[in-house]
Amino acid sequence: MNSLADLPRTTDIAGQPNAAKPAVRIDGVSKAFGDVTALHEAWLAVGRGEFLTLLGPSGCGKTTILNLIAGFLEADSGEIFLDGAPITNDPAHKRQIGIVFQNYALFPHMTVEKNVGYGLRMRGVDKTEIARRVGEALELVKLPGYGGRRPRELSGGQQQRIALARALVIRPKVLLLDEPFSALDKNLRSAMQVELKEIQRSLGVSTVFVTHDQSEALSMSDRIAVMSAGRIRQIAAPGEIYRAPADRFVASFVGDTNIFQATRVSPTSVIVGGFLIDVMPGPLEGTIDGQEVELFARPEELSLTSAGAPGTLPAEVVTKVYQGGYSDFYVTTPLAAERVLVRIHGPAALELWPEGAKIGLVLPKTGANAFPPGE
Amino acid sequence: MAQPADRPFLRLFVTPSVLVAGGFIASLAVILQYSLRAHIPGELEPGGFSLGNFTDMLKPLYARAFVDTVLICAETAFFTLLLAYPLAFALVRAKSPFLKSLLLVTAVTPLFLGEIVRTYSWIIVLGNTGFVNSVLRGLGLIDQPIQMMFTKFGVVVALVHVTLPVMVIMLSAAISHIDRDYEKAAASLGASPVRTFLTVTLPLSLPGIIAGVTTSFAWTFSAFATPQLIGGGQVSTISTLVYQLGFANFNFPFAAALSFAGLVFTIMVIALLRRAARPLEKMGGHA
Repeated sequence: MNSLADLPRTTDIAGQPNAAKPAVRIDGVSKAFGDVTALHEAWLAVGRGEFLTLLGPSGCGKTTILNLIAGFLEADSGEIFLDGAPITNDPAHKRQIGIVFQNYALFPHMTVEKNVGYGLRMRGVDKTEIARRVGEALELVKLPGYGGRRPRELSGGQQQRIALARALVIRPKVLLLDEPFSALDKNLRSAMQVELKEIQRSLGVSTVFVTHDQSEALSMSDRIAVMSAGRIRQIAAPGEIYRAPADRFVASFVGDTNIFQATRVSPTSVIVGGFLIDVMPGPLEGTIDGQEVELFARPEELSLTSAGAPGTLPAEVVTKVYQGGYSDFYVTTPLAAERVLVRIHGPAALELWPEGAKIGLVLPKTGANAFPPGE
Repeated sequence: MAQPADRPFLRLFVTPSVLVAGGFIASLAVILQYSLRAHIPGELEPGGFSLGNFTDMLKPLYARAFVDTVLICAETAFFTLLLAYPLAFALVRAKSPFLKSLLLVTAVTPLFLGEIVRTYSWIIVLGNTGFVNSVLRGLGLIDQPIQMMFTKFGVVVALVHVTLPVMVIMLSAAISHIDRDYEKAAASLGASPVRTFLTVTLPLSLPGIIAGVTTSFAWTFSAFATPQLIGGGQVSTISTLVYQLGFANFNFPFAAALSFAGLVFTIMVIALLRRAARPLEKMGGHA
């Protein structure tokens, strides 16, 4: 029997959560610390086998949700369910949840083997079974033969693998990851991200991942819950979060964006500098035709052409940055308060215009988003 | 390595400590010199060179005193640890600032009492007509007073009071350095609060326990007023014997030899404890 494959799983990995019995369900949970409300009535469901990311700046409440699921904090109101059963009042040690901490929290006084086997010892699993499952878990994280080492003898990446093995060996109902990559250097981080994602897929373990790094969230998640100031602003697949952000916060927190002054002409179109632009439906509800709004456009949705070409906004190149496969142009235009970032692909893009050149800025005709003016 | 020239104040700052250390070393040399000379009864001036003082120490009376002293030190360290750990733990983990201050004041107050005052207050508490006996008699629990003064028990009780503050401070330092994530990790892996404490918190505070026990041991070994006044001559420790030999019998050479042996013994015990603690310190309480 392959024990690690015994984890709860369904075929419903990538899409919507399995509505009947999600791995984790959070129903209207609130939490305050003194006068500060860390979480305002959060509603959230994590599907079986799903990789859900809680994304937001520090203090947005994402870690609070993690601690509430783990049982390290008590909810002020609302209910939390694990595999359909209420666990709101269960102490942490009865919840069957695996956690990888930001600093890994490997027990420094125990060997790797003892660390990984800790959860099994606490469950009274017999010795030979523990040895077998610890061996398997170390295989899974590609560190077989490291059982006798001490945590301090391991590199950051190795410590993280051991922390993952320790969390997975107890066959958790859900795996919680608290900013696990923040202590790793950039190259190691990308390698570990791919590996973690592969392990998570192969085991089909439901996972809640907390991060403030939007690129990490976009690359790893089945769905992302973007949070700010204790509220979940949007829960959707990465592509949707990027293409159709629900509000200004999501639009500016996830990915790079540029903001232009615009005027609403219908619920799904605006005018910028005399050009009619179709926008995603939704965010302009609550505004009226003729109202000043703002158009959000991604750097790769914009393009540059020679000055005065028809259908362009007048602009001027301020700075350009060569990035290898693409080049970033920072331009100014009277219709945007801030500098506008335009991303041009192709290795030769940098040669096109010198700094200071007058150019024409081309806005996307469709696909951009417009929001009521700022908060 | 930095040259002295890089640190212009080094000489200025080091000089006073060198002077103090020089004074200590000189007095130790004088004591060592005394210990190697014969005692002439009736004379304050010692006689010629002799190793007799050190061979005399092997007599049962003095060997007993060594053993008793070590036992008193060990018992004191043990009971201090037992009392100090919960106090230190509560001090570190208490959430209310008021409770924290209250615990700190309670734990540290004995440091601010003079040794004699503290010892006399224990005499008042432990005496045959003292606080404890009066209460027990008043409650009708005993007919005869329990003898606590002039016993080893009384000495240990008073010494625990002496060493408690330092132990609490050392243990709180160790406990406060334990990352709470270790305990959270243990809980998430299914350990109940008690098992979390026994398998994670307690082992990670071992460096603090060793440091506290070492300090308590060294301190109690040299304690004088407490065993002298509470023991009242019935409890012999190395320091009370040194006093008796020096100031009742005026046998300075032997008193010096005994002091010296006590010092060497204490250093040996501390070295031993430190050695035992080395693997624990290496593992480090925090990643």
